[in-house]
Amino acid sequence: MANSVSEVSTMAATDPREVYLQGLVQTVKAAVPEDLALSNLRSRTELLLKEQTFPSPRQEDWRFTDLSALLAIAFTSPGATSGATTVAEADIADLRLPETTGAQLVVVNGRFSAELSQVEGLPPGAIAGSLRTLATQLDPDQLADRLAQASGGHDVFTALNTVGFGDAVVVWLPRNSVVETPLQIIYVSQPEAHPLIVQPRCLVVAESGSALTLIEDFWGEASDTHFTNAVTELWLDANAQITHSRIQHEGAGTFQIAKTVVTQARDSQYLGTAVDFGAKLARHNWEIYQTGEQTTTKLYGLGAIAANQHSDTHSLVALSHPHGVVEQEHKAIVDGKAHSVFNGRMAVAQKAQHTSASQLNRNLLLSDQARVDTKPQLEIVADNVKCAHGATVSQLQSDEIFYLQSRGISAPQAQRLLIYAFAMEILDRIPLATLRSRLAQTIAQWA
Amino acid sequence: MSASVQTLVSQPYKYGFTTDIEADVIPRGLSEDVVRLISAKKNEPQFMLEFRLRAYRKWLTMAEPVWPNVNYPPIDYQNIIYYSAPKTQPKKLGSLDEVDPTLLDTFEKLGIPLSEQKRLANVAVDAIFDSVSVATTFKAKLAEVGVIFCSISEALQEHPELVEKYMGTVIPIGDNYFAALNSAVFSDGSFVYIPKDTQCPMDLSTYFRINNGDSGQFERTLIVAEAGSSVTYLEGCTAPMYDSNQLHAAIVELVAMDDATINYSTVQNWYAGDENGKGGIYNFVTKRGLCAGKNSKISWTQVETGSAITWKYPSCVLVGDNSVGEFYSVALTNHHQQADTGSKMVHVGKNTRSTIISKGISAAKSKNSYRGLVKIGPKATGARNYSQCDSMLIGDTSSANTFPYIQVQNSTAQVEHEASTSKIGEDQLFYFAQRGISPEDAVSMIISGFCRDVFNKLPMEFAAEADKLLALKLENTVG
Repeated sequence: MANSVSEVSTMAATDPREVYLQGLVQTVKAAVPEDLALSNLRSRTELLLKEQTFPSPRQEDWRFTDLSALLAIAFTSPGATSGATTVAEADIADLRLPETTGAQLVVVNGRFSAELSQVEGLPPGAIAGSLRTLATQLDPDQLADRLAQASGGHDVFTALNTVGFGDAVVVWLPRNSVVETPLQIIYVSQPEAHPLIVQPRCLVVAESGSALTLIEDFWGEASDTHFTNAVTELWLDANAQITHSRIQHEGAGTFQIAKTVVTQARDSQYLGTAVDFGAKLARHNWEIYQTGEQTTTKLYGLGAIAANQHSDTHSLVALSHPHGVVEQEHKAIVDGKAHSVFNGRMAVAQKAQHTSASQLNRNLLLSDQARVDTKPQLEIVADNVKCAHGATVSQLQSDEIFYLQSRGISAPQAQRLLIYAFAMEILDRIPLATLRSRLAQTIAQWA
Repeated sequence: MSASVQTLVSQPYKYGFTTDIEADVIPRGLSEDVVRLISAKKNEPQFMLEFRLRAYRKWLTMAEPVWPNVNYPPIDYQNIIYYSAPKTQPKKLGSLDEVDPTLLDTFEKLGIPLSEQKRLANVAVDAIFDSVSVATTFKAKLAEVGVIFCSISEALQEHPELVEKYMGTVIPIGDNYFAALNSAVFSDGSFVYIPKDTQCPMDLSTYFRINNGDSGQFERTLIVAEAGSSVTYLEGCTAPMYDSNQLHAAIVELVAMDDATINYSTVQNWYAGDENGKGGIYNFVTKRGLCAGKNSKISWTQVETGSAITWKYPSCVLVGDNSVGEFYSVALTNHHQQADTGSKMVHVGKNTRSTIISKGISAAKSKNSYRGLVKIGPKATGARNYSQCDSMLIGDTSSANTFPYIQVQNSTAQVEHEASTSKIGEDQLFYFAQRGISPEDAVSMIISGFCRDVFNKLPMEFAAEADKLLALKLENTVG
């Protein structure tokens, strides 16, 4: 690895990927509003980016996800005027979940929209809204300790977001505050004259003993070509609980590269569900870092893609303390010429004794031109651990279809039923009934 | 780990002696001239020289791979002796009686008696000492059924057309850095040719021995099984103890035609270095089998216990319809050993099937990685793979990693992968102790149970040896 980095930097001036990345950096920097300068953080991060290049499939981490298509597009940052005014309530009304009434934050092209958002009924001391308007209510030192401070911040796209995010959603829960209503964040992309690079940013801090149910919803128009580079940082202090659902149904022309980074302190519990339906090319880096013992982490993922879609999930669970429990299940349904990639890494350090970790990756191939690349990866140094992982790739079992046919269910119906069941094992983890049934409907139509 | 455990772990390596024998050694370093010199010394046909030179030129343009999960100081390729042979080797051996008695003694000491009269087991042996083959037993008996079993050098003289036809077809010269190096400078190795519809009447075996402390060993094995034939092949290796590291970059190519079966077993016990990680062999090996014909089958079984660093992925390319690839492996690392090993199964033909069973055991400060690839091509309709890799950790400073790559491009394929990691629990040892079984015996029983799936696949003599070898290597690692 060290070798390839030095190779890259020596040919800096001529490498088109390097040039492209630096161009992106300038584009996103230009859009940073004056009231969110964060100059220390941003200039420090920009230095990190100087040493990097735009990823190519020759890098192990990007081997199966080729970003060359992006290189041909000159993205621009959203205009300063973009925001609430251009998105009508009718456009997003369907996305609002009834369970979350009163706790909906709407972000348009990476900027928080006060008109479309509503936050009521938060417990005392809890904060939710735009970083630009809430900055005065937050302790600057505490903010500096959290914002962009999670591990893995040097990754090229995470750093790019840090250098140029124009606004951020902040949810801050003080000690022992339990948010009863699930909180929904809706990220909408609104096309402009030129293809946009949109950089949503979200920071959630759950101080010790607090609890939150969070839904992140990424939505875009079908015809729109844009590049979403999203970063969500979740901090779970001791005993905190976050139930997180991340739904990605961007438009068919969208490139989405996203990072969800979860930092878990002692006794905290994180339950995450990630659903990938949309986008032309989607990459989700889901990283969990443990900072205390006895944490519980549950990760459930579902991708359902067809046509020329490409969906890539790279998860990392880094355990460095004893008694951690991890359960991960990732499923993909791949049809048409779609390509699904899964890389699930579990790193168990020497101190993480008594870890119990399991990982299962299951892939359903529905067409002859569909493709799956999967790599469940265990790295273990501690000896007193129980770790297991499994991966399967197959089409629907003919005997299962036959079983249903023998009971009078037609073959296409049987196939639909089996796909539905395959997907529901993941979707059932989502705590909101409305959201669950909406997603189930998509699967039912899709099959 | 208790103190008594520590003392027991440092079990001496019993094959660490050197043989004092006059050797024909060429100067250190590698250049086009050295490649020509090796070829000339072996009196090779022109095509072989050209093959070597192509490989050498390709090698110059390649870079050493950095992706394996192993660490070692850079290798100085100009400080290696690329050819070393016992001097007393006569041009052509009439019978075993003409072999230098020192050499016979060496192999006797290793437990490989070369004189056929003494040999009870029904196994033909090709013994390779540094760069050359010193003796091949049971040749006449094998020739009766048409089986060719000899050293590669001999094959180049007597059957050049066969060597030219198959060499480099499974592992092209530019396949990887070490394969290119081997293709340029390989010294000797075994050649096996099983004619059509022939069951090889006995197991074939090659025994490799590195003696010279500064020489690398670059052997090359080629096994061709024609339609309807079958063969079982065993490979063993040891080396003396030196403080320096020696490079071993071998190539094994297997070709199986229609309905042919090749079983290839390895017990690798190169010198692994001392408990501080000093010395030992760098074992960078490329092994690949091509199931070219319909219903062909290639099965790899390996027990890896030696070498400071092992980098090895015995693979099967399943081209023929209904062909079968198997890989059974036990990799044990202790002290500072590092192993990055696994298998590749590339499914090309219809209804091809493969199985990977890998058991990794890591103790002390060692690093053990499974790295595998299962690739199902777009035309491999009905392909099936099952992989299982289990790791066992002994002590909390060792590490176990799995890096399985699964790439599927055909919807009718069925691929399953499972992996687990565990340790020998206090409760398990206590259970044994209750029944009056000492911790040492308990550990060796648990390990041998853990490895059962693989040992069952080994030929009888090897299985017994492998079991003992593991027990010896791990004695008192658990206290």
